[in-house]
Amino acid sequence: MKQNRLWAWIIIALAAIYFIVPLIATFIFSLRMRRGVLSFDSYVSVFSDPRFFSSFGYSLGIGAFTIVLGVLVVVPAVYYVRLRMPWLRPVMEFVTLLPLVIPALVLVYGYIRLYNSSSWIPFTGSVIGTDILLICACMTLALPYMYRAVDTGMRTIDINTLTEAAQILGASQWTILSRIVFPNIFVAVLSGAFLTLAIVIGEFTIASLLNRPTFGPYLVTVGTNRAYEPSALAIISLLVTWGAMGMIQLLARFAPKTARKD
Amino acid sequence: MAEEFLRIEKLVKAFGANQVVKSVDLSFNKGEFISLLGPSGCGKTTILRMIAGFERPTSGNIFVDGREITNLTPNRRNIGMVFQAYALFPNMTVFDNVAFGLKVAGKPKAEIAPRVAEMLKLIHLEQLADRYPYQMSGGQQQRVALARALAPSPRMLLLDEPLSALDAKIRVSLREQIREIQQNLGITTVFVTHDQEEALSISDRIVVMNAGRADQVGTPSDIYNRPATRFVASFVGTLNIIDATVVDPAANTIRIGDGVITLREPIGALKGGDKVSVALRPEAGSLSESATGDTALTGTVVSSHFLGSVVRTKFDVGGNQISFDMFNAPDKVLPQPGETVTLRFAAGDLLLIKD
Repeated sequence: MKQNRLWAWIIIALAAIYFIVPLIATFIFSLRMRRGVLSFDSYVSVFSDPRFFSSFGYSLGIGAFTIVLGVLVVVPAVYYVRLRMPWLRPVMEFVTLLPLVIPALVLVYGYIRLYNSSSWIPFTGSVIGTDILLICACMTLALPYMYRAVDTGMRTIDINTLTEAAQILGASQWTILSRIVFPNIFVAVLSGAFLTLAIVIGEFTIASLLNRPTFGPYLVTVGTNRAYEPSALAIISLLVTWGAMGMIQLLARFAPKTARKD
Repeated sequence: MAEEFLRIEKLVKAFGANQVVKSVDLSFNKGEFISLLGPSGCGKTTILRMIAGFERPTSGNIFVDGREITNLTPNRRNIGMVFQAYALFPNMTVFDNVAFGLKVAGKPKAEIAPRVAEMLKLIHLEQLADRYPYQMSGGQQQRVALARALAPSPRMLLLDEPLSALDAKIRVSLREQIREIQQNLGITTVFVTHDQEEALSISDRIVVMNAGRADQVGTPSDIYNRPATRFVASFVGTLNIIDATVVDPAANTIRIGDGVITLREPIGALKGGDKVSVALRPEAGSLSESATGDTALTGTVVSSHFLGSVVRTKFDVGGNQISFDMFNAPDKVLPQPGETVTLRFAAGDLLLIKD
């Protein structure tokens, strides 16, 4: 028994070393911009670059619209499938997994072919159109995470009975979705939203091929031209991701409690 | 004459090839408390859900107060419902749960607060208005669910096994409270249960359901004392079903074991020698020292069980094992196995059972 526990600790320690050592190395490297001393010069350099803020801000904006679109598509879809067409769930599971299997490159080539400036729906013919295309593509990439987060959230509440209880009290479908379903899966939606944001912030392929100035292409440009700033950006990206995860945990405390005390 | 409020005509519900409700006709009066009683899968909940609008009938019609509601959506029926699983909205306080129906109906705030307070007073939970469902016991949650259902002043109330998830003591007190509130408000109520004691104790009338059909509709006393079918007799209360042979149809006499008994009700079209079933409640009779007569059965004791307030003795009469109950008393001597006993009862206690 003790032997097993020792092995468990050894494996945990090895895994921790595997994950933490590169992070520490990256962080230390990012502090070595000034010769001979550790400094935050690379971070100052990153934050003084206006392209950092413009690309990060642009990605945040795209991320926000992607989240809104994702919530508007996924929440009602998961709700109606659970409520009225439970037999469709395996199909939903399969379809939402496709973005993990099909490379983003294939997706964006498909988009460009279908929505180029000489097509019937010329999305790429304008900046707004291309942004819309980017938002749709990002939503598709985030679909596996958003779907699973929302589906898990709905599994924790008795959606059928709550819907019937609201219906018999006179509520319309919109009232049920907005005042009963959504508030009760809010934390699940949030976790899906933060995962979506993390994907959008780091997305390179689609933004690059659609020629949109997001954070992903900026990271690559900086990475190819500078030495220390990419490490600083990697650490900043990690902090943003961890911050998002921390927000999920924090907001979960304010979630409506569904546990019953019988 | 009582005013008809809810009418169900030739109601049928089939799920694929499985017909769960088979042409049911029912009529309930205004202000009545009706229980749909039956085992699992008998169709009682399906009927309730069709009244609520959650299931669409395969055929048949439902009328409330003279108006057909068969195809109306649930949110346009103005019916209150309490669910077995409470179904309180977890993200809302007690106040908001009770106010939900009123808000949806577009009532002004000035009207909502006093109405919610009135409802909470009705269920004696005024002090819990700010609690969330997870902060309350099951009994309290179900009372809030009742207040929520009643707050928008519905035309009728549906109760879908509301007491099943509660423990025995709370179940009894809550059912008394439900009945009291229902009588005070005079609201027509349909209550679905599989618990015969619950149905017998709070209903004006009971519909006993069996395999998608309404076997018998009657007052609790009718259902218990004069069961129309073998199923009703066996489902409601404990009952001895005794195999007998017709002796003389004209004289209404039958033979059970070695004894010949005269029935009060006519035997009908049967002839001498035909097999019949009769029923006898365990509490209908008492031990007698005297010799057998036309309303007595004599047999050999098989077992005696002490059940607290009563002693249940099982004795054998011509191959039929018959149970009878006697009240417990400290000095009572239990009949011993092998002893010969005579059970005397009123002729009307023995019921002829139709299959």
